[in-house]
Amino acid sequence: MARTQPSPLVHDLQAALGIEAVLFEPEDLLPYEFDSSIDRSAPDVVVLPRTTEEVAAAARIAEEHHVPVVPRGSGTGFAGGAVAVMGGLLVVLTRMNAIREIDAANRLAVVEPGVINLDLQDALSSFGLLYAPDPSSQRICTIGGNVGTNSGGPHTLAHGSTVNHVLGLEVVLPGGSVVNLGSRQVDAPGIDLRGLFVGSEGTLGIVTAITVRLIRENEAIRTMLAIFSTVDEASNAVSEVIRRRVVPMAMEMLDQETIRVVEPRVNAGYPLDAGAVLLMEVEGLVEAVDQDSEIVIEACKSQGARDIRIARTAEEREALWEGRKSAIGALGHTAPALYLLDGVVPRSRLPEVLHQVLGLSREYGFKCANMFHAGDGNLHPTVLFDPEEEGATERVLQLGGEIMKLCVDAGGSITGEHGIGTEKREYMDWIFSEADLEAMSSVRLAFDPTGRFNPCKILPTGHGCAQGHFEPIKRKLGPGIYV
Amino acid sequence: MTSTFSTPGDFEKKPTSGRERDVDRDDLEDLLGVLSAGTERPPEQYMCDGVSPIMAARPSSVSELAEILLVANQRNLAVMPQGGRTALTLGRPLTHYDLALDTTALNRVLDYAPEDLTITVEAGITLKLLQESLAEQGQYLPIDPPPGDQVTIGGLLATARSGAWRGHLPAARDLILGATVASPDGSLTRSGGRVVKNVSGYDMHRMHTGALGTLGVIVEASFKLSPLPAAVSSFAIVCSSLSRAGTVACEIWDRNLATRAITILDSKTSAILDCGDVATVLVEFAASESVVVRSEETLREILRDYDMSAEHIGNDIWAQIRSLTHRDGIDTVIRAGVPASEVSGFIDHMEIIDGPSWGHVAAGSVWSCPNVNAQTLLGLRVVAERLGGFLQLESGSKSLREVVDPFGVSDAGLTDSLKSQFDPRSTLNPGKWKAVST
Repeated sequence: MARTQPSPLVHDLQAALGIEAVLFEPEDLLPYEFDSSIDRSAPDVVVLPRTTEEVAAAARIAEEHHVPVVPRGSGTGFAGGAVAVMGGLLVVLTRMNAIREIDAANRLAVVEPGVINLDLQDALSSFGLLYAPDPSSQRICTIGGNVGTNSGGPHTLAHGSTVNHVLGLEVVLPGGSVVNLGSRQVDAPGIDLRGLFVGSEGTLGIVTAITVRLIRENEAIRTMLAIFSTVDEASNAVSEVIRRRVVPMAMEMLDQETIRVVEPRVNAGYPLDAGAVLLMEVEGLVEAVDQDSEIVIEACKSQGARDIRIARTAEEREALWEGRKSAIGALGHTAPALYLLDGVVPRSRLPEVLHQVLGLSREYGFKCANMFHAGDGNLHPTVLFDPEEEGATERVLQLGGEIMKLCVDAGGSITGEHGIGTEKREYMDWIFSEADLEAMSSVRLAFDPTGRFNPCKILPTGHGCAQGHFEPIKRKLGPGIYV
Repeated sequence: MTSTFSTPGDFEKKPTSGRERDVDRDDLEDLLGVLSAGTERPPEQYMCDGVSPIMAARPSSVSELAEILLVANQRNLAVMPQGGRTALTLGRPLTHYDLALDTTALNRVLDYAPEDLTITVEAGITLKLLQESLAEQGQYLPIDPPPGDQVTIGGLLATARSGAWRGHLPAARDLILGATVASPDGSLTRSGGRVVKNVSGYDMHRMHTGALGTLGVIVEASFKLSPLPAAVSSFAIVCSSLSRAGTVACEIWDRNLATRAITILDSKTSAILDCGDVATVLVEFAASESVVVRSEETLREILRDYDMSAEHIGNDIWAQIRSLTHRDGIDTVIRAGVPASEVSGFIDHMEIIDGPSWGHVAAGSVWSCPNVNAQTLLGLRVVAERLGGFLQLESGSKSLREVVDPFGVSDAGLTDSLKSQFDPRSTLNPGKWKAVST
């Protein structure tokens, strides 16, 4: 029995999707107030559709009731993309989790947005196929969410981000119409609406099916751990490998702060006295792997690597990767709270920018751990702090902004894979002019003339963030939920 | 300086169907006012579909291009941006054509960071010039669009064409990191950046990819690069039938060798390329020396099972394939996207038409230069669509493009909405898309 009187919006949604698919009691809405960012705001209603038709119906009803619509997958985003900052309707897509088709012969799969990234990988393994994007959160993040933020992962270095692996999309547009963007084949005619949609963070529509491109597993793979005394040496080694014309599948760096936290918990095999380690992987035919490994090893040695360990078994490879993928979780045990940043610099600027990041963190009085996609120049400084300490949250946010400025000054970007969301929309004018942002607003208007889909995301205030009757978002920290 | 528009009478000769007013002397004087010395070009060199523009401009800077575009927009002139002029008849015939906007003088490398594997160039640079600059550092932009490296980077992006490497390697739409675009309102807007990973804001550069210059003029672009392979080796496999060619081609693709291209030729294409007059599979390996050698050994093992053999051929075959669509006398060119496993079957289906057909397996991309009428073309499109694919008219006569939608599948509603937002006066390539009121 509902304790809260259903609003007309709730009533209409229940009629269209069924009572069990609609949540509106305050305690039921609590888990949906936040994602993995530091912003928090409650939706008015949550729906959990099972079909494209139900998503379309929900979008139509939202339009009729003039309420915002926010899509959500697992809520693993770090930028606040799935937070309903203006309230309204939160469309949770986790029940749409069917792998509709695997066409191994043509190397494609059609999945629903709620499919967990790793579940797709597992389903593909018996075919000897892979879906290349592998965000560190792949055990829980959804493919729909990956589309929303154009997710990357360690293997982006060789294979590219999500947009490079999406062939087609079924999308519910604001207003409830259903369109297909792209195709089952590459290079569909027309404006690349598929490419435009990927990474649009739910502001242009809700994806209800994704046709993804698959790749074949390689014949051989070699995972190596290069151990350095300093972050500088490790950074220089990254450039040296590229200079020698080898682009490994992955080049991940962990600094000393991270190693000292991760190793005791995960036993990945990282030396505790190392200044930094580089986790690298080369793949291909056996001959290619032998040759590329040799070049990588020589390049690392030339930059001062004191040891290079090679995983001899699948278990050893797993262990090395477990250290990288568990790093955030392990860091979470060392401080009441973490603030995980995402910025990009040209890889040749890594050493100087890392120095500046660490220097700034010291100035602010925070510990900062770094584990990141070094090959892509994609930094993830992770600031450890205590939100109970007076002023700490404000200071950590300020530090985050300064670190983003460092990335911009180095010719980089304010996000490589997490997205803009609410977290960085006010930084957008650091990298884009007024005219650039106006052009982006025009895209938004073409898809969503009323600006109701995921309002207050991506574009800074004044570029599509309509002011409604909801309270403006107030930055505050959730109880340890943002790492 | 030419005097193409020396008398008002000249203006009245141009087609003006549906246009609100004719171009007058004030319009042209306004344009002349923003052109620097040497920018103006003879319009007759910029003919398209038998129509010459009233004026042609080849701006020497991005800001000059933006200024010209602004004046043209204010004066309600129809502008056709163009670079290498290799894809002018992709899309519907223009409803108006007043000004040719030639980007080829914008041909500078703006920023090349070999250590970061990134480059930023102006859009009028040819792929040839770009590849030559990169080769000095042992790098390249791994794309092979038809008809060859004479295409400009802007044209390459606007048409989003890809070649035999597609599917084995990324396409331009995947490798682009960011772009600067001139809009009809005279603004220059940027998206993306110069770093290899970036999800800041909407990927406007992807929206302009394949948009045929209808939403803005791409003036600069940044790309992710790759190291040049140390060894490249090509092979021809003569097949007794297209069906057998398809089976063998898919088997090779499935083995994940160091393959950079697998292309099936029908007998007509084989004959044009001096590969005999039967169906042929061409394979290209590109990697280090030892990996290419190993790939060749595996290829020969695969073929033994089929009682077939591979003949080593020159790598220049791929340039010939790229230029197949631009041979003398070719009028109509089509491209179908079909599942990889259906490439040979679709080529077989094309045997009913008069003209060569070939298909790149990994991309599921079948090209043909048929001699067909609209009805046959539409029939072929139905076949492609039944396979879950599409068929695009890449090039064709004006009359054919008037009766056949060149694109077939695309979301007209969203396309129109974007056109309304980015080019509300339909200044850029008016009518090229479709259903856009002018």
